[in-house]
Amino acid sequence: MNRQTTADALGLHERASATPERACVSPPAELGQAPAWTEGELGLRAQQEWFAAIVSTPRDEPAPVDERSAARLITASATLSSLERIDIYRRAYHARLLECLVDDYPVLQHALGEEAFEAACRRYVARHPSRAPSLNYFGQYMADFCRTLDLPEAGFAADLAALEWAIVLAIHAPTATAIGFEDLGGVPSERWPGARFRVNPSLAVLHLAYPVNAYLQAYRQGQPSARPDASPISVAVYRTGRSVWRLELEPTMVTLVESLANGSTLEAGLTRVQALLAGDPEQEVAKKVAHCFQHSVSSGLFTEILL
Amino acid sequence: MANRFELPNLGIGLGLRTKHYSTILEQRPAVDWFEILSENYMRTAGRPLDFLDQVADAYPVVMHGVSLSIGSSDPLDRQYLTELKALRDRAKARWVSDHLCWTGVAGKNTHDLLPMPYTEEALAHVVARVRAVQDFLGAPLALENPSSYAEFAGDSMREWEFLGRLAEEADCALLLDVNNVYVSSKNHGFDPLTYLNALPFDRVVQCHVAGHTDHGTHIIDSHIGPVIEPVWRLLAAVHQRCAGVPVLLEWDAEIPSFEDTHAEALRAREFIGAVA
Repeated sequence: MNRQTTADALGLHERASATPERACVSPPAELGQAPAWTEGELGLRAQQEWFAAIVSTPRDEPAPVDERSAARLITASATLSSLERIDIYRRAYHARLLECLVDDYPVLQHALGEEAFEAACRRYVARHPSRAPSLNYFGQYMADFCRTLDLPEAGFAADLAALEWAIVLAIHAPTATAIGFEDLGGVPSERWPGARFRVNPSLAVLHLAYPVNAYLQAYRQGQPSARPDASPISVAVYRTGRSVWRLELEPTMVTLVESLANGSTLEAGLTRVQALLAGDPEQEVAKKVAHCFQHSVSSGLFTEILL
Repeated sequence: MANRFELPNLGIGLGLRTKHYSTILEQRPAVDWFEILSENYMRTAGRPLDFLDQVADAYPVVMHGVSLSIGSSDPLDRQYLTELKALRDRAKARWVSDHLCWTGVAGKNTHDLLPMPYTEEALAHVVARVRAVQDFLGAPLALENPSSYAEFAGDSMREWEFLGRLAEEADCALLLDVNNVYVSSKNHGFDPLTYLNALPFDRVVQCHVAGHTDHGTHIIDSHIGPVIEPVWRLLAAVHQRCAGVPVLLEWDAEIPSFEDTHAEALRAREFIGAVA
């Protein structure tokens, strides 16, 4: 049960006022293949709807307006046509959102390959346009979205996306100080069975079909591995201070952590752990139960003892 | 000339970027002030706010937004404004700025600074909204001239006239981005001094400088690389009109070390003298 920290411990992705210039892998479609947009004078609302419709049209689709129609609303410059000027905004729109998804899902991008990832992102942007002032949660639908991809690795991609998104959520979850063994010393022995524990507010326990945590770790260590076969894992993702941690959990620890997270007493949680170990030698059971609790504490999963 | 809002001259500042967090928090370098991107610290309860709290405890902070969407024909987003105000209070921000632009319509946000049509209809619309925002914030809003790459055929005035009238009619402050004036002057073919000469400088409370990317046929406001000399000279021209305005460097692409970024910002001294 090795605990692994994400390398980019500062982890906030910038959203700036600059115009992004990230080069896209796929070339944009030709402009101006669609019918004329409108007739007559347009008010502010209509002009903005018109402009936004063109800007948000995916880069691999023709703009929904031809040059002649575009020129009725946007002037040409000495060097660029009306559509070419609008296309600067169209490129920037897609580049910024792609940049955001690359920030949140670098390992998924690696796993799918740059081209396939970008193609998926184009569909994601079209299906889930941003409706929030901040881009912090723009990528929140990626795991579910990956399941809809017509790719043999869709399930693996979805699990990987779920893990990467859990890291993002941990960054944005409230900060709390974990308790340590020194905090346990003051608990009177008779209070232990009824003790409850507040879990780290950033904690998420993921149950995944693919061993994506090892895959992610290998990538971060500069030793990317081949896409693994399905093999279920449970992994805790949480943050202490600046560090986001990933901790693969054995079934006993899953049981204990989820029990305590649901408000069970320590006694009830440990009883469930014991039940999982039925059949093991009695001495081994006691040792494993103790280890399970100690490891949960030393990993920083709890922030308060509730007596 | 001091600005009419009596907002302070904070000196020469830097845009706060995550790449520099460690250096700033561990070494506490002598920087006059920092500008934060407001939305980076909204819709989060975690690590970004932890850093912001530490920075705000040690330095003057100003907030610069990209999602107010003051020119949008959608209703003002009250939830956003509530969060903006709360963040301002938390960061003890000296003032709040955003851009003369719209970022989306029909509830969608493009996260880009889209160009306004410069018409009487748009002016009346934006004036009313700026007044509403200022009433909500209980403080003047500073609006920045954006870089733009397109102009509307139906425009009835130029950007500088729109901006000047907006500032007067809404009684708001201006954040004058000198690089944006330069970029738009090249993209639209006007004299940047014509732009500057039309502005009400008693409303300018802050200046931005930045690098950009020249593509030959047009210039993109990429905030990459050092500030070019013509932009510095424009800053000097601004300074002649409103000495004592705080200056801030934005650097958002291929960001160098903190020391190099700060050294570039401090080049402003060469062009604004000892006043700032």
